[in-house]
Amino acid sequence: MATTSASGTEFSGEIPVSSEGVGEIPPGIGPWQLAWRRLRRNKTALFFGGLFLLIVVLCMLAPVYSHQIAHAGPADGFPDKQIHVGGTTEYVLGVTGIPIGPTWHSRFFLGADGSGRDVAVRLLYGGRNSLEIGAIATIITMILGVLLGVVAGYLRGFSDGVIRFGLDVLWAFPAVLLGVSLGVSIAVGGLGPIKGNSLYVPALVIGIVYIPYVARPVRGQVLGLREREFVDAARQQGLSHSRIMLFEILPNLASTIVVFMPLILANAILLEAGLSYLGAGVQPPNASWGTMISDGINSIPAAFHNVLVPGIMLVLTVMSINVFGDGLRDALDPRAKVRIAH
Amino acid sequence: MKRYVRPLAAWLLTAVAALAIAACGGSSSSSSSSSAATSSAAASSGGSSSGPINVVVGTAPDSLDPGFGYTTQAAEADWLSYTGLTTYAHANGQAGGQVIPGLATALPTVSADGKTYTATLRPGLHYSNGAAVKASDFAYTIERSSKIPWGGAGQFYGGTIVGAADYAAGKAKSISGIKADDATGKITIHLIAPYGAFDNVLAFPSSGLVPSGTPMKNMPNSPPPGVGPYKITNVVANQSFQVVKNSHWTPIPGIPSGFSDISVKISSNVSSNALAVLQNSADVFDWADTIPGSLLPQIQSQASSRYSKKVMNSTYYVFMNTKTKPFSSQLAREAVVTGLDQRAMSRLGSGTLIPGCFFLPPQMIGHPTGQCPYGNPANGGDLAKAKQLVKQSGMAGTPVTVWSETRTPRQQWMTYYTQFLNQIGFKASQKVIADATYFPTIGSLKLNPQTGFADWNQDFPNPIDFYLLVQGSAIQQTNNQNFGQVNDPHVNSTSAKLGATPGSKLASIAGQWQALDSYLAQKAYIGVFGYQTFPAFTSTRIDLSSAIFHGLYGWDWSSLKLK
Amino acid sequence: MARFIVRRLLTMIAVLFAISLVTFAIFEAIPSDPAVRLAGRHATPQQIQQISEKYGFNKPFYVQYLRTMKNIFTGQAYSYTQGFSVTDEIKAGLPATVSLALGAGVLWLLTSIFVGTLAAVRAGRYTDRMLTVLSMAGVSFPPFFLGAVLIYFLGYQAHIFPLGGYVKLTSDPWQWLTHMILPWFTLSVLFVGFYSRVLRSTILDTVNEDYVRTAHAKGLSDNQVLMRHTLRNSLIPIISLWGLDLAQVIGGGAILTESVFNLHGIGQLAAQSIAGLDIIVILVIVMFTAFAVVILQAVIDVVYALLDPRIRLV
Repeated sequence: MATTSASGTEFSGEIPVSSEGVGEIPPGIGPWQLAWRRLRRNKTALFFGGLFLLIVVLCMLAPVYSHQIAHAGPADGFPDKQIHVGGTTEYVLGVTGIPIGPTWHSRFFLGADGSGRDVAVRLLYGGRNSLEIGAIATIITMILGVLLGVVAGYLRGFSDGVIRFGLDVLWAFPAVLLGVSLGVSIAVGGLGPIKGNSLYVPALVIGIVYIPYVARPVRGQVLGLREREFVDAARQQGLSHSRIMLFEILPNLASTIVVFMPLILANAILLEAGLSYLGAGVQPPNASWGTMISDGINSIPAAFHNVLVPGIMLVLTVMSINVFGDGLRDALDPRAKVRIAH
Repeated sequence: MKRYVRPLAAWLLTAVAALAIAACGGSSSSSSSSSAATSSAAASSGGSSSGPINVVVGTAPDSLDPGFGYTTQAAEADWLSYTGLTTYAHANGQAGGQVIPGLATALPTVSADGKTYTATLRPGLHYSNGAAVKASDFAYTIERSSKIPWGGAGQFYGGTIVGAADYAAGKAKSISGIKADDATGKITIHLIAPYGAFDNVLAFPSSGLVPSGTPMKNMPNSPPPGVGPYKITNVVANQSFQVVKNSHWTPIPGIPSGFSDISVKISSNVSSNALAVLQNSADVFDWADTIPGSLLPQIQSQASSRYSKKVMNSTYYVFMNTKTKPFSSQLAREAVVTGLDQRAMSRLGSGTLIPGCFFLPPQMIGHPTGQCPYGNPANGGDLAKAKQLVKQSGMAGTPVTVWSETRTPRQQWMTYYTQFLNQIGFKASQKVIADATYFPTIGSLKLNPQTGFADWNQDFPNPIDFYLLVQGSAIQQTNNQNFGQVNDPHVNSTSAKLGATPGSKLASIAGQWQALDSYLAQKAYIGVFGYQTFPAFTSTRIDLSSAIFHGLYGWDWSSLKLK
Repeated sequence: MARFIVRRLLTMIAVLFAISLVTFAIFEAIPSDPAVRLAGRHATPQQIQQISEKYGFNKPFYVQYLRTMKNIFTGQAYSYTQGFSVTDEIKAGLPATVSLALGAGVLWLLTSIFVGTLAAVRAGRYTDRMLTVLSMAGVSFPPFFLGAVLIYFLGYQAHIFPLGGYVKLTSDPWQWLTHMILPWFTLSVLFVGFYSRVLRSTILDTVNEDYVRTAHAKGLSDNQVLMRHTLRNSLIPIISLWGLDLAQVIGGGAILTESVFNLHGIGQLAAQSIAGLDIIVILVIVMFTAFAVVILQAVIDVVYALLDPRIRLV
């Protein structure tokens, strides 16, 4: 735990990733190869990694399912239609608006929602949106978080002070509260060229919220790295700061970045769902798992499938990322400890 | 390492077990009483036959101070606690729309030109704090409600009473149009122009008298003293309040003194509120909340004798911008009215809508009795005809933006409407706006919205309250409520003329209102898609034989008593 | 040391100032005119003007900001939409939120200590792997989904627990308990997942530290070493995390749990105010939470610095 001392005052949210974990490398084997060997032995992690891939592929196939099997788009509602299920004819929405449950047939396989839309179709399209937002948010967080962390840790002094202050401010906001505030504000007003109901709004909001969770530990690690011999050597060769940061420091952060990615992705997807639940995430008529659960809560107790179906998908996705990420972390760096607070 | 486990596990387990026991204990004994499952809504759960009546409300009142409160949740409590010079009859349904004398000895007398109202205060009245009521308190009350300001102040006071707008703007020290004589109790009000619904304005809780000198600010925590059979106490922000019998109340003919104290609990989970009433752990489900469709079958089968649907005067419609393509074309508007399936809309709204095509709702005087001009809405829409009309109008393929609120089911209605517009030949897309900003947004003339959701709930049972939304003179730059920018000379002149007719003569002009409302439907200026019904749902403890469901304020709490 | 504390305090004040400014700016950026929003559908242009002047919406940004801050710090902050004093609203929401925070806090701390320690002493074995997957499942459950599932199965179906809502401890302790159990559980699941993982790694690290080896060499039994040295030292980061998280929950951070269980606490107040764009209420809540977090963070920093001389005071 030597690295904590470098950043001394910031043990709280997260414990920095140790940079020395990859110490016992047998000669002749690269650290990445070694990690892959370790990961291959971790069957649980591989299983969940596979599950995640499967979910991604399924969600990408949403248009195919929608056109070829369900014959309904994600926004198409059929509140006035009847369908034949197992010999009987039923309304998609009952007289009091209760949607039909799973039919286990090509149409309304997982039932209908309160607007008479096909839940299975929306589940796949919603998943696409959830994953897309998660991915974009993760990219934003990783790029900005690493950039700020490296600049602050390497340059120290004034830049460090400014960046750390900014991170402190972001960090003191409760994540959900900040996300909801930003989400509602931008959803109402839009942001420059981005329209209020664009998927990029929640992606951007979530991306910003999680920056400190990456930037702070990266900064801590860079503070340690900049004292190492190879950085000194580079400095003595007269390399510019930006070159040192880019070619000397950054490659050494690779395993940290890889470890953080799944963690941020999982939490970004969760936060998106939370924001959507509070009406500050994905804006209608777009769907996401969060908005589906949120809509579904209105139809408890008669149509619980509207909550259960997207909820299970959400948990499975996040859990598979988490378990795979945990395996990845163990493989790359058995002693690392990473955490994200909610 | 293995040896560490046992002692550590032992002390941790003890701690966890303690919690678990608490949890399990909770489960076993509360499952024995079925009411425990839903007692969330009413802490002081049922059982005892005396004590207060528990009302569960899904939305907090905007303020219980009559000088600010405007929502139905506020009015339910305020109309019993703040009586004006006039008030409404305590009677079921439409009969409750009748204006009766309140704190005045009789309904105000109106001068021949319709611009001067005169009333006399009853002698010997007292506020709920014991203070005597003075005639000048009326002037003070209107001033206070104008200053705070109450949501309707600009229109109903500033727009009608001489000098009220100047007072609100800070240009005058008092409202010049109101004269009161404390010695005789005589009150004289001068109007800018004849206004037929002024008796109704005097009956608003915001016109209900409060003592002179009451702070001129919204006091939601401790609403000011008023004159009425009840008074409001124990307000806890966003949680609960009580409406209790007022010991200083002197009975006034036509205003019942009431039976029980009312204890109101605010709980935003309407499902659990409905279940609480079903299982008798709360007594009254607030009529302005919607019982979730998913619970209706259960309620209809288990409690059909204490659940019914009531019609109140409110209309749901899509506005269509008559100034902009495509709905500047009457044929395009006719297509919407002809084709939209109101049965589907009703399903989307938990089955709470009743179909119709006229702007004035069924319980309102002036609701036309004739056929709908573009097909019977109860039979669903005629999609083929609608498509043909769109073709005929030459507007096929026109891009249309449909504006809607976020909240359920309004958003779902507009999603379906968007889909419908696409089916009949437009290129529609939906734009959803946060609830808090929806009406301000579409009320901007600069935005010039094409079509979208709109509704209107009556302020009082006079058709002019609805027609303010389709008068050309109502079009304004911001906060416009004539969303479709309807500006038809016939509608403008006729509604102005009918609106000036004193409320007491309303019945005599009902036929003329019907003709005007039929004309509005004929022109397809607005696309009505139904009138909302409201749930009247009570526990078995409530004696329904005497209970009044009022046409304006819903459950009359002063009529509720326990069996 | 004094210099460190002063510096920490100054940073703290600057952070709070920045937070209030950012929050204010976020809502100020909304293009819709708050006066029109507050005036209601009946409002005439004159009335909108009247409201705009009353609340100072027509003033420049910095004037509005200063005015709002002055109102907040003099206790004159009133909700725009309901007129309640924000302090009263927070006071009304506090019992539910504190009940949630303390109950869940105890539950999640004890459970994670148990789970984390068990996983650490069984590191690499079957139990550890099961607990790992369970912890991962725990951190993957969004509270509003878990809450909805619990309410549906244990409330609507089994009638064991109420469907949500809050009952005051003082009015009916039994009802209070039955209403709080599911929210406690829901909120705890999330934290137990995190904490037990962190504790597991910390214990595994501590076991290899010199003083633990020394303790073993002194002939102490494994149990004594675990209780006296390993666990005691490993708990420090967990408990300081716990303090911060508790501060967040009390400050309304459990917004999702409060909303799904309809507790009408501070978190739900925040959610409602954000939906209603009632900026002054949001500002007060955000600052209240940030205060709690920042102050506690500073206190912990100072205490750490005092306890551990190895930490450089930057």
